[in-house]
Amino acid sequence: MKRTRRLTVIATAVLVALVPACAAERPPTESGGWDDTGEVTYWMWDANQLPAYQRCATDFEARNPDIDIAIEQVGWDYYWGRMLTSFVANSAPDVFVNHTSKYGDYTSRGLIEPLDELIARDGPDLSQFVEGTGDLWVGDDGKRYGLPKDFDAVGIFYNATMARDAGITPEQMQNLTWNPQDGGTYEDVLARLTVDANGVRGDEPGFDPRNVATYGLGIAYPPGGGSGQTQWSFLTATLGWGHTDRPLWGTRFNYDDPRFQETIAWWRSLVEKGYMPPLEQAVGNELSQLLQAGRVALVTEGSWNISTFAKLGGIEMATAPTPIGPQGFRSAMTNSLADSIAAGSPNKGAAWKWVRYLASPECQSVVAEGGVVVPAIASVVSTAEAAIGAHGLDITPFTRQLREGTAFPYPAAQHAADIDSIMETAMERVMAGSADVSSFTAANEEVNALFTQG
Amino acid sequence: MVTVDADVTAAPTSRTPGREAGGPTPGRVLAWACLVVIILITLFPFYWMLRTALSNGTTLATAGSSWLPVDFTWGAFRRVLGLATLEEAQAEGGTGSAVDFWVYLRNSVLVAGLITAGQVFFGALAAYAFARMRWPGRDLVFFVLLTALMVPPIFTQLPNFLLMRDLGLVNTYAGLVLPFFFMTPFAVFFLRQFFLGISREIEEAARLDGAGHVRTFFRIIVPMSWGPITTLALLQYVQAWNEYFWPLLVGSERSVRTLTVALGVFRAQTPQGNPDWPGLMAATLIAALPVLLLFIAFGRKIVDSIGFSGIK
Repeated sequence: MKRTRRLTVIATAVLVALVPACAAERPPTESGGWDDTGEVTYWMWDANQLPAYQRCATDFEARNPDIDIAIEQVGWDYYWGRMLTSFVANSAPDVFVNHTSKYGDYTSRGLIEPLDELIARDGPDLSQFVEGTGDLWVGDDGKRYGLPKDFDAVGIFYNATMARDAGITPEQMQNLTWNPQDGGTYEDVLARLTVDANGVRGDEPGFDPRNVATYGLGIAYPPGGGSGQTQWSFLTATLGWGHTDRPLWGTRFNYDDPRFQETIAWWRSLVEKGYMPPLEQAVGNELSQLLQAGRVALVTEGSWNISTFAKLGGIEMATAPTPIGPQGFRSAMTNSLADSIAAGSPNKGAAWKWVRYLASPECQSVVAEGGVVVPAIASVVSTAEAAIGAHGLDITPFTRQLREGTAFPYPAAQHAADIDSIMETAMERVMAGSADVSSFTAANEEVNALFTQG
Repeated sequence: MVTVDADVTAAPTSRTPGREAGGPTPGRVLAWACLVVIILITLFPFYWMLRTALSNGTTLATAGSSWLPVDFTWGAFRRVLGLATLEEAQAEGGTGSAVDFWVYLRNSVLVAGLITAGQVFFGALAAYAFARMRWPGRDLVFFVLLTALMVPPIFTQLPNFLLMRDLGLVNTYAGLVLPFFFMTPFAVFFLRQFFLGISREIEEAARLDGAGHVRTFFRIIVPMSWGPITTLALLQYVQAWNEYFWPLLVGSERSVRTLTVALGVFRAQTPQGNPDWPGLMAATLIAALPVLLLFIAFGRKIVDSIGFSGIK
């Protein structure tokens, strides 16, 4: 798996380099067409949502007998590699689920269709979407490249039984505090949840940090690349730190800021204190499996995985919002997926009809009832919250961040893949203890150079 | 396995007088014990795959070090073979996506079969030319061919991919098979060594009887080299069956997707999501079965042929 994965990474890197070459050979806008009949291929990655979207497709085909929807599900691990090969091979899907961290690569090469004129002509009314979700899909050229389909936020999943045994109440979990000096009540809880091989808790005398049976906080590798979406961004944001000079499409990054570096230093200190597994114990594991195996008691994760956590057998899970920072507010990164149309599609007319239907209350209420994600259409959010809650986990600790205005958008930027590879390496070195947090200053220069070298 | 172990350790005590040279000396016993240990170590990953394949995906990690299947179920095999309903699959941590196992199996058999047939046929012809025919520049061409053996395949994948794209062969069987079809330097090299070992007198006798090169090749050389040719076919088949990267590049569409690529459906579906380990292990086991069957059917023959040629 490791080898194939490395091969895939190499091939993806080379293919990224190939895409502009063939885009120049065959301008996609010329190869595309505006037929409004025929087969529309649609790619998505989340198999859990597939049944709901299949129903949307069936409903759509009943209304539009001239159009067939062919849904192809490709798991996240392969999705972007296959997407690139398919664009290079001129066999790209007509419509596909797009991600904020990736679409800059596609807009800069003219591979996806701007939707502004179509929206002005046919709708939908953009005010129907949850505030902020639509803005993520306006590229750095000011054009809109997708209609938002859902949104997510980051929060805490924890083992409710272990918390009860440790004497931690759900009320405490709902009102955690944090600061980069002593970690606040968040660190207290992590210490309390940590248990060594002799049954001594992390906050009790005699605790052995080198022989831990259950760690308070889980970590998965790679630890968050440049965005730290689920790992640390909810902490840095409470200090007033932002990734870039502006929320979206920034061109100067701030990894040299002391607020960022002291947050990571605190996070890293959890490993030495024995509250978080060291790199060699965490690499290659999924958070959900570490939780299930009783190796960790609490993880920070995205709301898109809530149904995975709800389904975990053998343990009782609960959710909580991210901790409140030293300035008195909590924070969470929010992201929104959208459906984009390939510029080279021969039947963009039909593709647009499908995208519009996907972003309609009809389809999104079906998705809401599916109980996996929260749709971006404001009117069905409560339906989705109820459907997800019926599976056993409360999603409101996540969605409240949007209601209370404490959510901030995913820092979409150009060169996202390069930034992630620089920051992933830098972060792994720090977390492995082979570099100090001050090394981020050099990494930051490398990142910023991506924008000045053109 | 345990009984085999017991037999081996019990062997020295059951030694009887009048044994021939083949009897259990301490050295022999030690050798056998080592062999058994190696066999156990070799087989253990397969046992672990089977144990995981028979586990329930949603509870697997609750007993990560259990030697027996966790929460025993045939669910993973049912998912792989497309017998489980969507609800059943999702209830056990499986994917919500359909798995067209039989389509992928057909594709794998077809692609690996075509590649093997092409490589063995054309490779044998080329090997004969290099071993027996005299033509200007032969040794230079053979040297170039051997040099090609040194080029890591990864370097040719992308140029090949662009070629296939421009030929419009992406997502077709032709695109999957062509880069491997005509020959590989290894097949030529392998068979040439065997053809060189066939005595010239036989060939000269055939020549005297009026047979040309084509006739000599098909009537004399091929029947005499049946062992090495079968061995080569088997090796190439296994390699083609396991080929992953090229089918991933050019054959990712459902209609031509091979098993190796299709197994990806069991990997993480969402960022930081949970892979369907039991499904992946069950599918991998089933995908390995055809190759295993081939070895059971032809394994003896291969050992014989290699042994035979070694003596020569």
